[in-house]
Amino acid sequence: MEEKFVTLAHGAGGQQTNELIDRVFKAHFANPEFTGDDAAVLAPWSGKTAFSTDGFIVSPWEFPGGNIGKLSICGTVNDLACMGAVPKYLTCAFVIEEGFPLDKLEEIAAAMEKTAAEAGVRIVAGDTKVAGKGQVDNIFITTTGIGEIMPGVRTSGTAAQVGDAVIVTGDVGRHGCTILLARDEFGIEADVTSDCAPLNKTVEELFSVTKDIHVIRDATRGGVGTVLYEIAGQSNVGIRIDSQAVPVADGVRGVCGMLGLEPLYLACEGRLVIFAPKEHADAIVAKLRTLPYSGNAAVIGEVIADPVGKVVLTTEIGAQTMLPPPGGELLPRIC
Amino acid sequence: MKSPREIIESYSGRPLRIMEVCGTHTHEIFRCGIRKILPPQIELISGPGCPVCVTPPGYIDSAIELALEHKALICTFGDLIRVPGSRMSLAGARSQGAAVKAVYTPLDAVEIAKENPDKEVVFLAVGFETTVPSACLAVKHAESEGIKNFSLLTSNKTMPDAYRALGNCADAFLYPGHVHTIIGSSICLELLKGGISGVVAGFQADELLTALAVIAHHADNSSEAFFENCYKRIARDEGNPAAMRLINEVMTSCDAEWRGLGVIPGSGLKLNATYAAFDARLKFNVPECSGTPHAGCRCGEILKGLLKPEDCPLFGKVCTPVNPVGACMVSHEGSCSAYYQYGR
Repeated sequence: MEEKFVTLAHGAGGQQTNELIDRVFKAHFANPEFTGDDAAVLAPWSGKTAFSTDGFIVSPWEFPGGNIGKLSICGTVNDLACMGAVPKYLTCAFVIEEGFPLDKLEEIAAAMEKTAAEAGVRIVAGDTKVAGKGQVDNIFITTTGIGEIMPGVRTSGTAAQVGDAVIVTGDVGRHGCTILLARDEFGIEADVTSDCAPLNKTVEELFSVTKDIHVIRDATRGGVGTVLYEIAGQSNVGIRIDSQAVPVADGVRGVCGMLGLEPLYLACEGRLVIFAPKEHADAIVAKLRTLPYSGNAAVIGEVIADPVGKVVLTTEIGAQTMLPPPGGELLPRIC
Repeated sequence: MKSPREIIESYSGRPLRIMEVCGTHTHEIFRCGIRKILPPQIELISGPGCPVCVTPPGYIDSAIELALEHKALICTFGDLIRVPGSRMSLAGARSQGAAVKAVYTPLDAVEIAKENPDKEVVFLAVGFETTVPSACLAVKHAESEGIKNFSLLTSNKTMPDAYRALGNCADAFLYPGHVHTIIGSSICLELLKGGISGVVAGFQADELLTALAVIAHHADNSSEAFFENCYKRIARDEGNPAAMRLINEVMTSCDAEWRGLGVIPGSGLKLNATYAAFDARLKFNVPECSGTPHAGCRCGEILKGLLKPEDCPLFGKVCTPVNPVGACMVSHEGSCSAYYQYGR
């Protein structure tokens, strides 16, 4: 293949499409179930199945700490993991802008290969479309995944209970801050990299501590603050957060201070919010701190009976105030 | 010795209405929950200190006209994009093809002008003494670089005349530390002679508590007007003479319309004759738009502390942060937005 850029012919379904698939996707995604037939054929398993899909349109498509390929694997793997599943298989659909460099497409595929290998998932089917110049912003990826729910595990956004500890697996807001800086719109430089990471192994380790975990949710677009409001609403409980206990990297805190942003509302791509009975909290945090993506895990608050559906913050002066509900802010597209 | 918080919590003197005239103060007071620890005698009023909140609808109309009729590329602080004009906001204009870009400083707009020599770039210069110097610097920079496709649509305002206009709305002002870092404290001493009390305050929770405790202490011990600078580490009595020289070199005072408050004579700034070539109103012959806010909007009375946000019939129903009607709901430093977000 001589071309250096993706052309409309690559998406036309003919010989060039096949060449693109061979050169980029088969080369990186090779596994026994990826046959290139119309559908992958998979053997059933004994447990329940978790099934999820997610679209990725991040701008810029590469950023410190990852690129859209890595993000597209982590996003769906983490969604499955949050339901207590061991992710098994993924499919991916690409919409590529005409003129996108082929070597960059390979970089994206290589990142997907590496991340899928780390997570232990196989990419078993895919689709490629090429859109005309200007019709998409470089490249969009959609991944869909299935996984097997671990025995004895039941997590749900409706399952938080009064008295649960609220745990985050690491410092918040890194991905959102990284993307803001990568857009170079504010002329601010800071040493911040995305937290983008596959967290299924983290979740598996969590369940080795206890199966008695009520809620796991990955904080993505909208950040930890949005997750807290979602869970408070779904579980009909209140949540109290100690603002001083929320881990925030210095660089993120500095950027947020300059731009007037709340770190709790900046996107994460490698952080879980966990609700579990208080008596397990110390053991969970101790385990998390031994794992690669959760070295600064912390208990940040607790579930309370009132006010239902709201998130209360204990501030640095010891006063109680509301965490402003999500929405209404002019935040750029970040994932 | 009592801590600032203990002084505030144990205050039992005469009722005190304290007006913070700075959006950052408003936001920080809500964020760290200071209102929750105040005794019933102390009331905080959120005055007109958020530049976005006092930007009149006519100004937004002018900016939209520049964008849509004159095809100018509009550069602005991000918050202004959602402020409603008479018919639409800049965000609405953008959906009709207007080029609107959020920048972090006016100097970025000069760079954009340099990179786009075939486009007219207009920076929306709003804000108080804190942002005026950077707008002046941008104009001087454009002049020295020979950049002719850059101009300012000014709606800058200065605080001293607003203090005078609002002096009888409160028992004491919480003066914004950053404004007084630029203009110094002589104006506060002048206001003191006229019986207007106030304290210059910083922006951290402990600095705000200290300033409020100082006000409570004075009010407890005397009925005389008072002034203290509680932000001396940054705000010197003489202010920042270099910044003031820059403002005086590039700008001249004018009457200014404050959204909700009307025209306060002498409270605005515009480019002076020397820099008139950078004045977008002159360059594009933009008429003064009077503009009309939403009929039910009570922003004006809220900014003067006469009403609380929840007293406005639109608050939380028609007017929300997602769909703001009044400017006080747009900026996250606006009083209505703060009330809505943090609950009260």
